[in-house]
Amino acid sequence: MSIIAIVALAIIVMLAGGFYVGRSRAISAVSGATARLHSLPNFHGYYVAIWTGLPAFILLAAYGMFGSGLVDRLTAMELRRDAAALTASFETALEADTETLALAETLAVLRDRADGVAEAMADLRSASGSDRDPARLEALQSEQTDLVNQLATAEDARLGRRAELRDGVSDEAAEAGASVRALAGFELAHAPRERRQLFLSDARRIATDGLASRASPELDAAAAVMRRHADQIRNLVAGIAIAIAFGGLIRTRGQVAAAFRARNHVESLVTAMLFLSSVIAIMTTIGIVFSLLFESLRFFSTVPLTEFLFGLQWSPQIALRADQVGQSGAFGAVPLFAGTAMITVIAMIVAVPIGLLSAIYLSEYAGPRFRLTAKPVLEILAGVPTVVYGFFALLTVGPAIRGFFAMIGIDDVVTQSALSAGLVMGVMIIPFISSLSDDVINSVPQSLRDGSYAMGATKSETIGRVIIPAALPGIVGAILLAVSRAVGETMIVVMAAGQGANLTANPLESVTTITVQIVMLLTGDQEFDSPKTLSAFALGLVLFVITLVMNVIALRVVQRYREKYD
Amino acid sequence: MTDTSPNPAAELPIKVVARDVTVSYSGKQALHDVSIEIPDRSVTAFIGPSGCGKSTFLRCLNRMNDTIDGAKVGGSLTIDGQEINDKSIDPVVLRASVGMVFQKPNPFPKSIYDNVAYGPRIHGLALTRPELDEIVENALRKAGLWEEVSDRLNHPGTSLSGGQQQRLVIARAIAVNPEVILMDEPCSALDPIATARIEELIDELRENYCIIIVTHSMQQAARVSQQTAFFHMGNLVEYGPTEDIFTNPRDTRTQDYITGRFG
Repeated sequence: MSIIAIVALAIIVMLAGGFYVGRSRAISAVSGATARLHSLPNFHGYYVAIWTGLPAFILLAAYGMFGSGLVDRLTAMELRRDAAALTASFETALEADTETLALAETLAVLRDRADGVAEAMADLRSASGSDRDPARLEALQSEQTDLVNQLATAEDARLGRRAELRDGVSDEAAEAGASVRALAGFELAHAPRERRQLFLSDARRIATDGLASRASPELDAAAAVMRRHADQIRNLVAGIAIAIAFGGLIRTRGQVAAAFRARNHVESLVTAMLFLSSVIAIMTTIGIVFSLLFESLRFFSTVPLTEFLFGLQWSPQIALRADQVGQSGAFGAVPLFAGTAMITVIAMIVAVPIGLLSAIYLSEYAGPRFRLTAKPVLEILAGVPTVVYGFFALLTVGPAIRGFFAMIGIDDVVTQSALSAGLVMGVMIIPFISSLSDDVINSVPQSLRDGSYAMGATKSETIGRVIIPAALPGIVGAILLAVSRAVGETMIVVMAAGQGANLTANPLESVTTITVQIVMLLTGDQEFDSPKTLSAFALGLVLFVITLVMNVIALRVVQRYREKYD
Repeated sequence: MTDTSPNPAAELPIKVVARDVTVSYSGKQALHDVSIEIPDRSVTAFIGPSGCGKSTFLRCLNRMNDTIDGAKVGGSLTIDGQEINDKSIDPVVLRASVGMVFQKPNPFPKSIYDNVAYGPRIHGLALTRPELDEIVENALRKAGLWEEVSDRLNHPGTSLSGGQQQRLVIARAIAVNPEVILMDEPCSALDPIATARIEELIDELRENYCIIIVTHSMQQAARVSQQTAFFHMGNLVEYGPTEDIFTNPRDTRTQDYITGRFG
């Protein structure tokens, strides 16, 4: 790395030199009469500096990002080539091994039987009337559990046998005096994925004199290969970077002349830079969407989409062992959608009237002094961290609601209820609605107000009949944005709404939302291949789609409204 | 200091009388002691360079200056002998009898019908739907728009052309049966053909209303008005029959303005 650091430093020096050279050459090209230059001397300097530094730094950045991956790949390729003979003998051993063949056959038979049972169960489930046979269904269920167990055992046995054979081949080869490099390559070619990664990372640590988790001749051999590749690539990159920087400096230095349009070139480079920045933002979004999409697809390969979207039971605990009781796992997300919808509706019932009316007051009635104080205060409300609203809901609003209902004789109200979460979320959303609506109301042209006043309308008539209708699309847009905010809100609900996935219409019960479940599913130690954790991605995808649709509609509506007055 | 003849068209009854009207915006005086008598059933034009106070004076006549923060109006202004700057006068009631048309057409974002029915509805002029329909039709006919829009009354008012929008706004103003109609440069945003159409309309409306029009176009003032008042720097410089003002101005400032030497 130190070589790379030196190279980077050298490029910076060249870049600064390039600026100076470009500038002074431009000045001397017109012998000091800078007015004759097409571009100011500084632009010539920037031009030379950019072409000196930029390509070289891009190369270094690429090296930083992909360098170690390339080294790993080259190392693995080289080692595997050495291990080709061993690999071939392993393949023949695997093919000749009767036990492996027998196990594969057993597995195939078991899978067929499992498919048959699953089909029979599906038929029975969809059966109606006299065809229904709960007893048989139960029998089939226990048979399926049994089959799942057997399949797991058989699969374990097959993998075990494979590992045994592999170790045998490698031991034999070691005794027969095969090179350590070949043994390392064999390991890299046939070990399970996690072991391969561990092997490579250990080799990398040894190669860079770091602390490895273990040491072996194979690792040392791999480290040596890796070190060689790493050095080669590093030196190559360092050389190319310096060459590019130097080449850029020489080339652009030659271009500097009185008529050279350095300013336009710099301008187009700036444009390219701006474009790149926006592309990064867009690519990030696309990347997030795709990662959600792929994980969700993995989830939907175990749980059917229809069950997820229309199932009424949500209990994502998946059985660790097939014989575990009552832990089948149910991924019907309707209770979550319903909980989200209920809390959102409660929040909107609070936020829309208060937000809208306060916006109307602020924009139409309030004197400048009140407006000057009230608006920032409202905006502070938007800046309160949601976790603070969370305690407010949990410690103040929840108990108050329970107290109130106890007073009127309803005793079984819980502290963590949809109502308390919804109320507090509504308060949180008020500034969104009031601030956006205020802007929208203010952008209704004064000529409409004048027109209405000139007709002899009072202030409230003008507001009700002209201003609100004119601002309505914008207000609707503001409300939709607020809804998508409410749907995506997490902290308040985690703290205040409870976690029970109840499918209920009673706001006094505790409910749970999509966001809360995502938090629950992904906090703590999780393995990322069970449907339990994968379901979080499916929920995330749903959330994303909901808020996306809402935002698109809102932006459309707002846009159309803008067009009308511009 | 002002050179005015109190009643240039003696045969017509006087509708609006102003005595020493002054207006200031946040302490800055915009109008100095304007006194004028405006006859009914005729068109009176206010001309003058930008910022001369003509629009300010126009806005005094329906107290639209009330909606501007820091505006102060002094002096006496009467319509039919009734003092309108009086505290006891509700500007909302006043504006129902003094309609106003603005520089830029400002139809509400509603249907053509609802635009015209806006005033009658808030003032409760129609008890039944047929009555309202009749008011709307009459207003649109008077504004010369009925033929063009009768088959699409439920289209948005903003879908009309600029000239049609301005006639719609005039229809909206006359739907509440005002006595005075104020027009603040009603044609400045329109093309010559639409302008000609509006001028024709103003001439027709003269028979029933007292019309006061602010204009930057001297030709327009000459074409449509019977009286002309020339404002300059917040003062009413000269007021008289339009013919006299244009052919025989008494004040040199008027003459300079009319002949295009400034403004």
